[in-house]
Amino acid sequence: MAEVGLKLAFSLAQIAVVMGVVMLTVMFLTLAERKVLGWMQDRMGPMEVGPYGVLQPIADGLKLFFKEDIIPAGANKFLFSLAPILALVPALIGFAVVPFGPNETVELFGVQFKPFVISDINIGILYILAFTSIGAYGVILGGWASNSKYSLLGGLRSAAQVISYELNVGLAIVGVLLLAGSLSLVKIAEAQSGWFWNWYIFAPPFPQIFAFVVYVISAVAETNRVPFDLPEAESELVAGFFTEYSGMRFAFYFLAEYANMILVSCIAAALFLGGWNAPAPFLQFHGGLAHLAWLSGTFWFAVKVYFFLFLFFWLRATLPRLRYDQLMRFGWKVMLPIALGNILITSIAAYLFPR
Amino acid sequence: MRNLKTWFKTIIFYEILVGMKATLTHLLRYKPITLQYPHEKRTLPDSYRGMLCLLRYDDGTEKCVGCDLCEAACPSRVIKVVSAEVPGEPTKRYAKRYTMDMTRCLFCGLCVDACPVDALGMTREFEWAVYDKRQLLLNKEQLLAIGDRSFPVREKKLELQHPNVAFFNVAFKHMPAKEG
Ligand code: SF4
Ligand code: SF4
Repeated sequence: MAEVGLKLAFSLAQIAVVMGVVMLTVMFLTLAERKVLGWMQDRMGPMEVGPYGVLQPIADGLKLFFKEDIIPAGANKFLFSLAPILALVPALIGFAVVPFGPNETVELFGVQFKPFVISDINIGILYILAFTSIGAYGVILGGWASNSKYSLLGGLRSAAQVISYELNVGLAIVGVLLLAGSLSLVKIAEAQSGWFWNWYIFAPPFPQIFAFVVYVISAVAETNRVPFDLPEAESELVAGFFTEYSGMRFAFYFLAEYANMILVSCIAAALFLGGWNAPAPFLQFHGGLAHLAWLSGTFWFAVKVYFFLFLFFWLRATLPRLRYDQLMRFGWKVMLPIALGNILITSIAAYLFPR
Repeated sequence: MRNLKTWFKTIIFYEILVGMKATLTHLLRYKPITLQYPHEKRTLPDSYRGMLCLLRYDDGTEKCVGCDLCEAACPSRVIKVVSAEVPGEPTKRYAKRYTMDMTRCLFCGLCVDACPVDALGMTREFEWAVYDKRQLLLNKEQLLAIGDRSFPVREKKLELQHPNVAFFNVAFKHMPAKEG
């Protein structure tokens, strides 16, 4: 009995730490994005709150909390309140299976637990795909429940886009799954240890570089980021599906967007870039210095995730938005065939040269 | 051959990579051109057209004769003039009420041009952000106050005035003065 209680306590502590880190990252991602975009465009970004504007996210949060919360008269009140939560929660749930560090088991007070993954379930990646597709409901319902034509159009655009690109994300991942022979993110990341050419992006027998490109592009599209931010498209349309939202509900959509960004970056790092593995074995601490091994693991994982997050900003600073038909054509006529072809070649290669 | 090259460029997203290189160079050679506005201000050009104001003569009397020409000239109907006679002096008129709704003004300066007595002027004030739009509905006293603080030293034009155009602040140089 005591063992179950302890296990529960450990899990709760892990969840609290992960949520804390994710929320903190989300908060400061909003600042980082504005800063990086500013720097890339010869501006300074936020400068007023705190030294060099570092306290800006806190000021933004306070502002959003104190804003008037409006529910339009014709809206479906229940769904209107539910939609932002439906958008945010799936994005956060996905972190349960992400391995943030080495797959080691630690014994504390007579209970075994894995410090760097909340729950190592053997269908981890399926679980994430399933939950992120629920996130689309948040966007669609948000557009529909506000009872505004423009919001509905935004939501519909988003639905079509998310479905098209969700498909490509799924297919791009299949190559890696074929090579790894497992759906567990922990196992997949573990299989890429050693030098960086063991990472699935470079791995023999068939490097998943095409799948990686498809995955990254589709991930950008799925998180509704520039250049695929058609659900929002605030400069051309009436600010997309969240037109009628205000205050904290509005913020939830953005928290969801940023949490999703972190999540897809984590998946990309774990699947293609070797997860917590360092590019070279000697950069990863092993054995005696157990604590250093953990630290180096999380360090390399964080480096990869932050690289992806930077890529998101970088793309946003560079690219203009795609037109809707271009977006659909690109998804179905370019990305989908590449992903399918990659699966074909990978399965043949994996059959001919089993690892 | 050429076709192959364009194909290759398309496949590796060549244009996008060029663009991303450009943004990255700007990030690495970061040199902001931002002006931190409330803390630093740029010097305005002399021809800057800022807030409107009403002017006075040197003796402190108002220049405006309530002729309504500015109201007629204004393209966005900013100005409202109610003119009245100066009590006891049937030939003299003045603006009894003069309001400007600065929320609509586009600072074109047509009213300043239209005014026959140079009673209107444009200052270089531009910091007029307010919390309540109604504060931008300025009355005569406010406009005169702006004039007073923007043009504390006025040109001495009273003496130049032609006796024929007693209340006009324009020197009609080509017109001979009336005898006596
Ligand atoms: S500046 Fe132009 S818009 Fe403004 S009051 Fe004068 S005439 Fe009207
Ligand atoms: S400001 Fe000039 S144009 Fe306008 S009413 Fe007065 S005198 Fe006439």
